[in-house]
Amino acid sequence: MADVTGKKLVQILEHVAKKIEANKDFLCELDGIVGDGDHGVSMTIGMRGVARAVKKLPDDVLPEEVFRVAAEAYAEDVGATIGPLYETAFNAAARVSSKKNRLNSISDWLEIYDAMAESIKTLGQAELGDKTMIDSFIPAVEHLKQLSLSSDSLESALTSTGEVALSFAISTKDLIPKKGRAARLGERAAGHQDAGATSLAIVLQAFAEGVSES
Amino acid sequence: MKKLINDPFEVVDEMFEGFVKANDQIVRAVGKRSIARVESPIPGKVGIVVGGGSGHLPAFAGYVGKGMADGAAFGNIFASPPAKPIVEATVAVNSGAGVMYTYGNYQGDCINFDSAQEQCREMGIKVDSVVLNDDVLSSPKSEAEKRRGIGGLFLVWHVAGAKAEQLASLEDVVAVTRKANNNTRTVGVGLTSCTVPANGQPTFNLPDDEMEIGLGIHGEPGIKRVKLRPIDSVVDEMMESILADLDYVGQDVALLVNGLGGSPAEELYVVYRRVAQICEANKINIRFKHVGEQVTALEMAGTSISLMRLDTEMHDLIKNSVVQTCMYTKR
Repeated sequence: MADVTGKKLVQILEHVAKKIEANKDFLCELDGIVGDGDHGVSMTIGMRGVARAVKKLPDDVLPEEVFRVAAEAYAEDVGATIGPLYETAFNAAARVSSKKNRLNSISDWLEIYDAMAESIKTLGQAELGDKTMIDSFIPAVEHLKQLSLSSDSLESALTSTGEVALSFAISTKDLIPKKGRAARLGERAAGHQDAGATSLAIVLQAFAEGVSES
Repeated sequence: MKKLINDPFEVVDEMFEGFVKANDQIVRAVGKRSIARVESPIPGKVGIVVGGGSGHLPAFAGYVGKGMADGAAFGNIFASPPAKPIVEATVAVNSGAGVMYTYGNYQGDCINFDSAQEQCREMGIKVDSVVLNDDVLSSPKSEAEKRRGIGGLFLVWHVAGAKAEQLASLEDVVAVTRKANNNTRTVGVGLTSCTVPANGQPTFNLPDDEMEIGLGIHGEPGIKRVKLRPIDSVVDEMMESILADLDYVGQDVALLVNGLGGSPAEELYVVYRRVAQICEANKINIRFKHVGEQVTALEMAGTSISLMRLDTEMHDLIKNSVVQTCMYTKR
């Protein structure tokens, strides 16, 4: 069974960084169709910064501190729109993890995902259907909420949550963008999968993989 | 990708180091990615802080110096800087007379500059912002507030910088900068894509025999792709869009024919020739003009044309100012 201590969380975030970097070109390609083609680069720079910063934390660090340091590192290295969004999301995760030594239950992670999604929604002033990160994140949170009522293991719950996020990221193809640079394209962007929703799904999948790795 | 670089992820930091050393008579670093004029804060003067993604030099940091900007924050390639370097530049240029932010209308820049503004106000610094939106083809006139900021900033900042050099109040500097922005229109055309170093691939594909009208300075798609054709007819179409959006007929204007990074000066003069003919035919009086690379998009080939309508105040400011910045000196 997973034992997600602060130290384990550091390893999980390092795994997220690796997975994002492996998908850099794919994310840039998605973004290049409708935007300026740098989303994979921004995400890579941000998560590299996060991995570098959390690695320096002591072994007995609390999860909330890991998330807080991640927020700061991401924001400082990225800027752009995505920088403040991940900053606020990691800070929200830090807030709901306050004083916890371990993040081992589905409800711990439901709180984290829910707080992250809400903070992104508030800062980005995006609604469901605007073709943004929210469109993969909120359905994923809803899915995890359902699972929290069942007796699923944390590993399998987070894994299926990542899958749900990815399938909703793929279905952003049908949406017309209302926010971000893609919004200027309107109808021209229909038919293309949103890069931000996709990278968010990749992050959730990487969280699941990181938690499951023992 | 053929570029004069080392590690693609280190380009901005290495460029920043070189930029500061090469311009050390004009600017100093005030953070990892922020600069200010060496003499700042200048007593009684409103500090002007600019910034945006890297990849557009001389815009934005290249305009720090006498007559334009006092400080600048550098972002990653084509990505807004975070709030932190903006705050560092603000603190460095604040003389007590207040600080004005001015930057192009992009979601990332708006979020980060707004966040910096909030932090600086909490520190007790007077800060106001003017967001530029001159790109005619990026949104219809009915939604002009959504338009991007592109080449027109070069003209607008002449006016802003000149007003600030006269030690005008923050309110007055902001007012004249807003007025300049409201009177400025730009249309761009791209002939090739560009490659973000850490990406390694061109941002988009544009066939050899096509050009894109309305292309943004980060390679955002424009309004349409057309077959390559003689530039006069392209300039005609660009000028038509500008003149249809704001009445320039019979007016005094400042004019920029801008290169996007990959088109030689020779071609820009061919463009200017046609622009001047059109202005003459429409009795548009060119009071200030510049032809050259100012607001670029890495190595993208193409051009943009900016016109700023001048009233007496703006005319006098742009004509009489002295501008000596890191990368541009006014004649």
